[in-house]
Amino acid sequence: MKKFLLAALLLAATASQAAHHEMGHMHSHEGHVHDTMVDGRKLSVDAERFDNFVSAVPGDQIVVISVQGMVCDFCARGIEKTFGKDSSVTKIDVDLASGKVLLSYSPDTEIDRASIDKNILNNGLNTTAIQVVEK
Amino acid sequence: MANSGAQTDNIYWHYTPNINYSLGLDYQRDKISGEAFPSARLTYLINRKNTATSQRNLYLKTGIGLDNSTNHFYALAGDWETRRLFAGFSAKQVSGMGYELFEQSVKLGIAPYLGAYGDLHTWLMIESKKDNLDDRRITYPVLRFFKGGALIEVGYHKKTDWDVHLMYRF
Repeated sequence: MKKFLLAALLLAATASQAAHHEMGHMHSHEGHVHDTMVDGRKLSVDAERFDNFVSAVPGDQIVVISVQGMVCDFCARGIEKTFGKDSSVTKIDVDLASGKVLLSYSPDTEIDRASIDKNILNNGLNTTAIQVVEK
Repeated sequence: MANSGAQTDNIYWHYTPNINYSLGLDYQRDKISGEAFPSARLTYLINRKNTATSQRNLYLKTGIGLDNSTNHFYALAGDWETRRLFAGFSAKQVSGMGYELFEQSVKLGIAPYLGAYGDLHTWLMIESKKDNLDDRRITYPVLRFFKGGALIEVGYHKKTDWDVHLMYRF
């Protein structure tokens, strides 16, 4: 009986989380996806998410990294840790749904694409594009 | 990382210098022989394939006893996952500790919802195992939850009872 109750409780918790996330999922799709061209390639980020990120770091440089293999929270955790150690990085956002990592750098920083690429690779993931957004 | 299962309880700490391998120390208490099995472990990433929506890995794992080098194991393990689906396998040979064990397992999973980064993530899984000591396949449900750097995985089978796996990534 105890096992049955425990299983029922776990299933109820899972169903509750699923319902919560389906609502969140619908909400995020109300925004439009940015298709601005940067470095000859579509930016393809979630508009609402991107706007929130940019507005939190006015004046900073924004870098959008397209990452392959970023399929779970655990895979992405090292990215936040790695870039968090860089004092010139002012904000980090990981979007698992689009496979994008947003970074903001202080305005005087020279963006080193090779270093960004290496940091992603060192976390076991691959970079397909690094786009520096002109503000 | 801590595991409690039908055959063993263990605590495992590992450090990953780079993506290709990790080194660890494991303290395992074997429920069959009743003996402790402290060991040094190596996990080597043989192959990884990243795509926009998936990741596939193949690992070689090995461990050798710190107080008795005849105690050792080696395993080949692999997984493939997307944000929604998971499939993994393992083939493990354990020697020493008074017996020889060859265990094969497969695990399949589905995420009922797609959480964002930092959310509580949930996986509904099914695992199937077979070893040469008890030549019968057992299949049981597993629930996996993780949030941030913490993961808990709980499986239950009436024959082997609870199988609990805790992990924290620093």
